[in-house]
Amino acid sequence: MKERHTRVPSDALHLPELMLFMQEFWAAEKLPPAQAAPFELALEEIFLNIVMHGTPANAEPHVEVSLVLLDDALQITITDDGPLFNPLSLPPPDVAATLGERPVGGQGVHLVRQLMDAVRYESDGAHNRLSMTKRIDR
Amino acid sequence: MKIAIETLAMATVVVPEGRLDFGAAPDFQRQIETALAGANGPPKAVIIDCAGLDYVSSAGLRVFLVTARAAQRASVSFALCSLKPAVREVFDLSGFSRVLAVLADRRAALAQVSQAAS
Repeated sequence: MKERHTRVPSDALHLPELMLFMQEFWAAEKLPPAQAAPFELALEEIFLNIVMHGTPANAEPHVEVSLVLLDDALQITITDDGPLFNPLSLPPPDVAATLGERPVGGQGVHLVRQLMDAVRYESDGAHNRLSMTKRIDR
Repeated sequence: MKIAIETLAMATVVVPEGRLDFGAAPDFQRQIETALAGANGPPKAVIIDCAGLDYVSSAGLRVFLVTARAAQRASVSFALCSLKPAVREVFDLSGFSRVLAVLADRRAALAQVSQAAS
């Protein structure tokens, strides 16, 4: 089992760094390039969701990302010490709405739920932790 | 992300290349707005040829949605074409393939917008 971790401040400026972290892991483990996009999307959407949920005064929240490569799947776990919030509590957007009715936001978490095989939220009262797993065919 | 803009008689074709993520979305939006406004007034149609687009996140989807609405207001036909499988999946799961004109290739997109304009 291969594992890698990183930790960045909860600020959108650090998104490129997280993407690079994922891409380097992908290359190092020789995973199929064509299957990378859903994992990158999950990382981008959940990280930005955490960033957008704000920074309490006088706090510098951080986000920790861990990648665990299982036999036939990759698990991404994203932990943060920002305000407690379960992204899975968001209602799904109405995918049948017409062009004019579609809200411009709210897609990210919905996409993650659809793209990943399993998504789980937990909190210890001080941290949010979202674990996402998806199969990789290799 | 690299963005090329081709001006054809029937349509302005925007060709993004690379990754349309949170960081790339604002510039992409500006470029499309410029294409939509046109040098001498709005073009008949705007096509986004996604053949070189490797990745799109919700920030990127948002640009397509905002653009489609702006095109509708300006009476400019709007279509997307040539989505790679990973990009297509995001469009399908979000339901955007149903509200936007998503065509298989550039020829089909040109046929679609010329039909819509006539």
